[in-house]
Amino acid sequence: MKYKDYYATLGVARDASEDEIKKAYRKLARKYHPDVSKETDAEEKFKEVSEAYETLRDKEKRAAYDNLGSHAPGEQFQPPPGWERSFGEQPSGGGGSFSFDDVDLADLFAGLRGRARSGARRPEMKIPGQDFEAAVRISFDQAYKGTEVEFDMSVAEPDENGVLRRVPRKVRVRIPKGVTGGQKLRVPGKGGKGINGGRDGDLYLDIDVESHPLYRAEGLDLYMDLPLAPWEAVLGASVEVPTPAGRVTLKVPPGTQAGQKLRLSGRGLERPDGTSGHLYAVAQIAVPTVVDERQRALYGELRDATAFNPRAHMV
Amino acid sequence: MVKIESSTALLLDDRGTVTVAELVEQSGLSEDELSVLVDCGALEPRERGGASRRFSARCVVTARTARRLRDDFALDDTHAVAILLRLMQRIEALERELRRTR
Repeated sequence: MKYKDYYATLGVARDASEDEIKKAYRKLARKYHPDVSKETDAEEKFKEVSEAYETLRDKEKRAAYDNLGSHAPGEQFQPPPGWERSFGEQPSGGGGSFSFDDVDLADLFAGLRGRARSGARRPEMKIPGQDFEAAVRISFDQAYKGTEVEFDMSVAEPDENGVLRRVPRKVRVRIPKGVTGGQKLRVPGKGGKGINGGRDGDLYLDIDVESHPLYRAEGLDLYMDLPLAPWEAVLGASVEVPTPAGRVTLKVPPGTQAGQKLRLSGRGLERPDGTSGHLYAVAQIAVPTVVDERQRALYGELRDATAFNPRAHMV
Repeated sequence: MVKIESSTALLLDDRGTVTVAELVEQSGLSEDELSVLVDCGALEPRERGGASRRFSARCVVTARTARRLRDDFALDDTHAVAILLRLMQRIEALERELRRTR
């Protein structure tokens, strides 16, 4: 097992008071918390700081940690004889083959939650498994149709001696159709394993949907820009437009203004329970940049034939 | 060979509801802390009525954010967490508005 110097991580002395430890942690949390920090390695730093604080804030865990002695950070070491009997689970089978070699110090102390009480074991105490969080980036089409994603995880699970060890786990999660960016999903029971009959933790997914060249999602509703020629906007038209479910014909009413939203009912995102949003085509007036002589003359005729003033309200 | 475990993700949105006990279990906050968040307006119960009140499943996300803020910044005062949460909600609403108008 590799040693981590939690006191050095928090920048406090080994005999620091609880208040000093909390104060040091708060200062470092403000500096490295990913929500507020601009430091490049903030997330990694914050993890180290949190891990140290999680152990040193708890009297029993701190006592267990202190009992491991002081070593150089990263140094391989073994806990003193009897350590596991005082603070952890008692190895079964006479302890002949028991080893801390591939145990992570953070997992070891996470496994001590509720077990160490003045040196007495509390095997009856149910400890819920840890919740996991994962970010998932999916395409717009996957969000529209629903998809499956797989996670390769390395999770801490109690071995036959109750000591947490890292084991590989593969979880395939069905993401229902109709999810949108920023949404959170819960996968019950796919977090860390509970200890002593405690419930298994959950896996929480943060959904990020890649932007689509045409559609923008707002809840279950979708928006897309619909360029119209000036004569289509004035006279009205039937235009073919794409939707995620295929092309449809949209009737553009005469006198359509730029920015006007034309609704395609029920053509937005759809949830498994059947609720669905609408697709809004937002009209934009597109003008030709190149006109030939005849067209120029016709535009001139139109100008002379109309009293329309689009800036009348500005006069 | 690692065995593949299959599961379906549940949407945490306004369509589903959770009980107070489920919210306590899934957020890691105590019932007292949840009450403070409700009193401060950071959480809105869908149905009032003491222990039988229900919350929108979206509240799981809000309550878990509150728990994360409490733990990550070692905050002792739930009122402070509630205020922080309200400010974060305002920032998120403004960011949504900004994205919508871009």
